[in-house]
Amino acid sequence: MDNVDFSQPMRQSSKGILVIFGFNLFQFFKKFFVALLAIGFSLMRKKSLMGVTTTTISLFFVGLLIIILVVAILKYLNFKFHLTKNDFHLSRGIINKDNTIIPKSKIQNVYIKQNFLQQIINVVSVNIETAGDKKSEIEISALDRPTALLLKDKLFNKDSINLQQVDEQPIQPSQVYFKISMKRLLLAGLSQNHLRSFGIIAAFVIGLYYQFRDFIENLNLSDQVEDFITLDEAMIANLLLTNLIILFFVLLISVLFSIVKLIIVNFNLQVIEHQKTVEINKGLFNKVSLILTPSRIQNLIIKTNRVKRYFGLHTLYVKQTMVNQKQQKNFNIIALERPQVDYLIEKLIDNYSFNGDRYKPRPYYMRILALRMLIFTSAINLLATLFFGYEALWANCIVVPIATLFVYISYKKAYYIISEDFVTLGSGFVDTVTNILEIHKIQAVKLRQSIFQKRRKIASVIIFTASKSVTIPYVNESEAKSIYDYLLFRVESQANDWM
Amino acid sequence: MQFSNSQIFTDHLPKIDTVDLKPISKQYLKIIAFNKLILFGILFSALFALKQLIEEDGFQDNFQYVILFAIGFCILNLIVSLLAFKKRKYAIREHDVVYAKGLIINYLTTVPIIRIQHVEVSRSWLERRLALASLKIYSAGESGSDMKISGLSVGEAKQINDFISAKING
Repeated sequence: MDNVDFSQPMRQSSKGILVIFGFNLFQFFKKFFVALLAIGFSLMRKKSLMGVTTTTISLFFVGLLIIILVVAILKYLNFKFHLTKNDFHLSRGIINKDNTIIPKSKIQNVYIKQNFLQQIINVVSVNIETAGDKKSEIEISALDRPTALLLKDKLFNKDSINLQQVDEQPIQPSQVYFKISMKRLLLAGLSQNHLRSFGIIAAFVIGLYYQFRDFIENLNLSDQVEDFITLDEAMIANLLLTNLIILFFVLLISVLFSIVKLIIVNFNLQVIEHQKTVEINKGLFNKVSLILTPSRIQNLIIKTNRVKRYFGLHTLYVKQTMVNQKQQKNFNIIALERPQVDYLIEKLIDNYSFNGDRYKPRPYYMRILALRMLIFTSAINLLATLFFGYEALWANCIVVPIATLFVYISYKKAYYIISEDFVTLGSGFVDTVTNILEIHKIQAVKLRQSIFQKRRKIASVIIFTASKSVTIPYVNESEAKSIYDYLLFRVESQANDWM
Repeated sequence: MQFSNSQIFTDHLPKIDTVDLKPISKQYLKIIAFNKLILFGILFSALFALKQLIEEDGFQDNFQYVILFAIGFCILNLIVSLLAFKKRKYAIREHDVVYAKGLIINYLTTVPIIRIQHVEVSRSWLERRLALASLKIYSAGESGSDMKISGLSVGEAKQINDFISAKING
C-alpha cells in the first residue's frame, strides 16, 4: 500500500458512503427522538395520525431514508483531499463548496479512530487537529488502515525530520509500555466510585417516568395494582421486601453499568512510548488513539482511593490544551501501578519530583467545609421532611456521620507543595486526588478573600492554566501573598513559552 | 538545563502588597446606578405583573410584605454595589496587569503580560456618553482568568491597550 499517491485529489474509500449514511441517520434519530416516540405512541393507540394512515407514514420514512442516503452519496462524491509539498488540501460541500488548506506545520495532532460501524466494514477515520478554533477540526471518515497510517505519516513527516536534525540522537524504537490485562480492567471497574452511575441510572429512570407519566397512567396500572393490594400486615411486610429487592436490583444494575462502561471505554488499553510523546489506544466499540504531547500538557491529575490503592490501581488524567471537549475525557490511563505512574509523569514532565515541603491549609478550611455540609444537610432535611414527613429525619443517622467524615477526611487529605518549577496539590474525600502543574504554564493568578477571612488574615490562591484552575484553599494571608508573588515571579522572569 | 537554585519565598521578590492600585473613574458610579435602576425596574415590574396574574388570596394578602422584602433587598444591593465600587482598582506593572474587585468576596487577579493573547477596548452606549471605556484582557487560561476592567477613561484605556499590544507583539 506504500504506493498510494496523495498528490492527486482523491476520495475516501467508497465505504465512506455507509459511514456518512450511518452517522447522518444517527444524528437524525438523536434530534427527533422524542418526536418519533410521540408519533409511535399515537400510532399504537389510534392506528392513524391526523388522518394519515400507517402506510403513508411508512412510505414517508422510506423516502426520508432515501434522502439521507442521497445526501450521504453527494457528500462522499464532493469530499476530496490531496497533499502537496507543504499543505494538506481538502474540498467538501454539496451546495456550499468549502476549500480548506492546512499547512503541514500548523497541524497539531493526527489521530485515528474507529467506531463500531467502522469496525464492521473495516475502515478507520483520520482526524486532523489544528491549533485554532475548536470547530476547525477535520475528519476523513473512511480510509482503510494502511492508507490512514501512511497519510498520518506523511502529515507528520516534516516534523520527525526536524526532530532528528535537532537531536542527533538515535531514535528509540516506539515500544508498548503498558498493556492492561482483563483482570486489572475488572478490578478497576469494581473498585470505582459506583455512586455516580447510581445517580445516572436513578436520574434516567425518573426522567423516563416523568416523560411517559401520562402514558403510564393511561395503562391504568394503579387500578390493577389496587385490586391486588388489600392492606393487611403481611402485605406491608411484603411491600417493604419488594422495595428492598428493587433497591438492591437498582444498585446491582448501577454497579454492572459502571463496570461495563469502564470496560467498553478502556478495552485493550495500551500505552505506547514514542521518542517524545506517549500514545494511548483503547476502546471496544469506539477505538480511540490519542497522543500526549508534553509541551501541551497543562495539568496532571492522579486519582486513587483506598480500595484501589490496595490493588495498586491509579488513574492518570492528562489535561492537554488544544483538545476538543469531547476528546478530553478520553485523556486518561487507568489501572496503573504506582511506579508506572511515576515513570509516565517523568516522561510527560521533566524533572518532576513529589519531594518538597508539604504545607496544609489553615484549620479554617475545616470550618468552611463544615459550613457547606451544614447547608447541604439542612437543605436535604428540609426537602425530605416536605416530601416524606418527619420519619425521613431518621436518615440523618447516616447523613450526619458521613458529613462529619467528609469534613475531617477532606481536611486531612488537603495539602500543597510549591517547589521551584511545580505546584502539587492534594485533595479528595473518597478519592485521593493529586494535582500537578508546571509553574511556567500558569496563565493567571487570583487571590480570593471574603470580608470574614480578611479579619482572620486568611486567603485562597487560585491558579489558572489553559485547561483548568486549581485552588490552594485558605492559607495565611501573608503566605498566600508570598505564593502569589513567587508564582508571578517565576512566570515573568523565565519568559518560557506555555506551549 | 542551566542549574539554578534560588531560594524560594525570598524577601526580594516584587510584592503585590506594595503595588499602588489605582481606583477607576468616579463616572463609573453613574453606570452602576443606571444598571441597578434597570435591574430594580425589571424586578418590580415582574412583581406587579405577578400580582395581576396570581389570584390566590395567600399571595394577594401578603403582597405588601413581598414588596417590602423586595425594597429591602434593593437597598441592600445598592449599598453593597456602591461600597464595592471603591474596591475596583487596577494597576499596570512592567510585566503584568493587576485588577482587584469585590466587597464581600475580594478578588485580586494578575495576568502576566507575556501570557496575554489579545486586548480590546470596548465601549457601550452609556460608556460613550460618559467618555469611559472597558478594557478586556484575554489569556489562554480558563474563562475565569479573563479580565475586564470597566470604568477607565477613554484615554487611559487606549494607552494601556497600546502598551500591552506593543509588549505582546514586540
